[in-house]
Amino acid sequence: MDEIDKSSAEFMNARKEMERLTAESLKKYSIKPNVMFGKLSDLIKSAGPTEGVIKWARQNSLWPMQFGLACCAMELMDFGAARIDAERKGYLLFRPSPRQCDVMIIAGWVTKAMVPEIKRLYEQMSEPKHVIAFGECATCGGPWWESYNIIKGIDQVLPVDVYVAGCPPRPENLFQALMKLQDKMGGKIED
Amino acid sequence: MEFGIRNGKVMVIMVTRINIGPVHPSTHGVLRLVADIEGDTVENVEAHIGMLHRGVEKLVETRKYLQSHPYMEKLDYVSPLAYDETYVSAVEAALGVDVKERAQYVRVIELELQRVASHLLFLGTMCNDIGQMFTMFMWTFEDRDMVLRLLEQATGERMFYVNMRLGGVNLDLPKDFEENCIAFINREEKRIREYEHYLESNPVFMERMKGVGILNRDDAVELGVTGPVLRASGVQYDVRKNNPYYVYDRLNFEMQTEHKGDNFARYKVRMLEIKESLRLIKNALRMIPEGDAIGMPVKLILPAAKNREVMVRREVPRGELMMYMIADPQSPYRLSIRSPNFVNLSALEYVARGCKTADLFAILGSLDMVMGCVDK
Repeated sequence: MDEIDKSSAEFMNARKEMERLTAESLKKYSIKPNVMFGKLSDLIKSAGPTEGVIKWARQNSLWPMQFGLACCAMELMDFGAARIDAERKGYLLFRPSPRQCDVMIIAGWVTKAMVPEIKRLYEQMSEPKHVIAFGECATCGGPWWESYNIIKGIDQVLPVDVYVAGCPPRPENLFQALMKLQDKMGGKIED
Repeated sequence: MEFGIRNGKVMVIMVTRINIGPVHPSTHGVLRLVADIEGDTVENVEAHIGMLHRGVEKLVETRKYLQSHPYMEKLDYVSPLAYDETYVSAVEAALGVDVKERAQYVRVIELELQRVASHLLFLGTMCNDIGQMFTMFMWTFEDRDMVLRLLEQATGERMFYVNMRLGGVNLDLPKDFEENCIAFINREEKRIREYEHYLESNPVFMERMKGVGILNRDDAVELGVTGPVLRASGVQYDVRKNNPYYVYDRLNFEMQTEHKGDNFARYKVRMLEIKESLRLIKNALRMIPEGDAIGMPVKLILPAAKNREVMVRREVPRGELMMYMIADPQSPYRLSIRSPNFVNLSALEYVARGCKTADLFAILGSLDMVMGCVDK
């Protein structure tokens, strides 16, 4: 009996605390990391487009584009498959349409023939959009540095948010890169 | 707009030309297809390639022999080890180096593991292509990951192994490899039987696969396709049997053929090959001798090449790979690669003519090519 009383008392305390916090946050519209109180419409009204709820929502529902170029796309497939459960961090489905995507992962070497296509895909993505250069080839040209048909890094064409080293990087590295991207979107990492 | 004869009458036929790719979730790698479609029937398909061209053959000429391993592996990134091995064999033939007995077994084991991994990836992606979204993909990727883990134990790298050295391998098999490998094989044999049962008792799968995309025997020979695609058309041709290399003639295995030449036959040949490869690995593990398997250390300057012209043929998971090399003393003067993927892709036009638009991707999936090797 004592234990039940104790736990119910704890529960009541927690509930009181929650009510107090809700009242406070409704008063001030201040937002804790990853915790939101109050009506959604009020919260969205109170926050600008680059902070608060909207930023939080963007950060935690990144939709990458289903788009592979070369070898690193194999590791991208592994990332999307059973090896890592990436959805627990908010990287949802790989989408085939650029209009539904937030993140473009350049996985593989970029040839001169592909540059216009990649630019076109990038332009079709809705704002705000992010690019991850996955692997040596997308970062700096990699082993094809001296080739006549390869762009020496995707950053010559698109603005890149996160670079991932490795040839190819392991699927875990992509996971880390996406977490870094979240930190960057959350303002924890400066540009 | 064209005129043609339909049901004995001259009629106007509306042919729509659609573009597929180069970035499309169903194309394998970066491939652009232009299809002429009448109603829902594909009249003609043209493949536009070259989106991944990076000039491997030219780059290799500027490197010393042992600097070119990574370039070879990146040709076919689904089965990199097989390509590395072919290149090393070409260099060995030019330099006149013999491969050690144990190293031959180690190479065969690793090559067959790579074949299993490659065919598993085929199974997963092909089921995606026929609309069986992600179930097989998840299962086969789990299995493939196990193969990659075994190869990682053996070579120290997850995807691009660079484990072949002149006369042997870089790292010998680790102590507990045999145990792990046998455990994997026992599990995988069960899983493959399960997959076959699930897929072949599924009426939708059979409908999409049986009788679709027929490539008959004569056409297959004429087009020069190789590997599982050729064997599915009923031709008894496997470089491992017809022109054995390493210890393949000592190991007990069967050549797998089907005779119908449709999507289902191509799928079936690969499934049988996975089973056969698993059996082959078991045999090889039983027969592997003790001894030294380590090859020559990496040096820029090697003993000068003895033979001017060499050609090597190997059965890689996607068909017959040939490397023709004119050897200068320290680097290739010219290296020509006969890519099995390129030839298999050329068959698409013939196979897909007359099929339904939705079956185009099933056929593309069953031909199973890697664009990195097509474009070189």
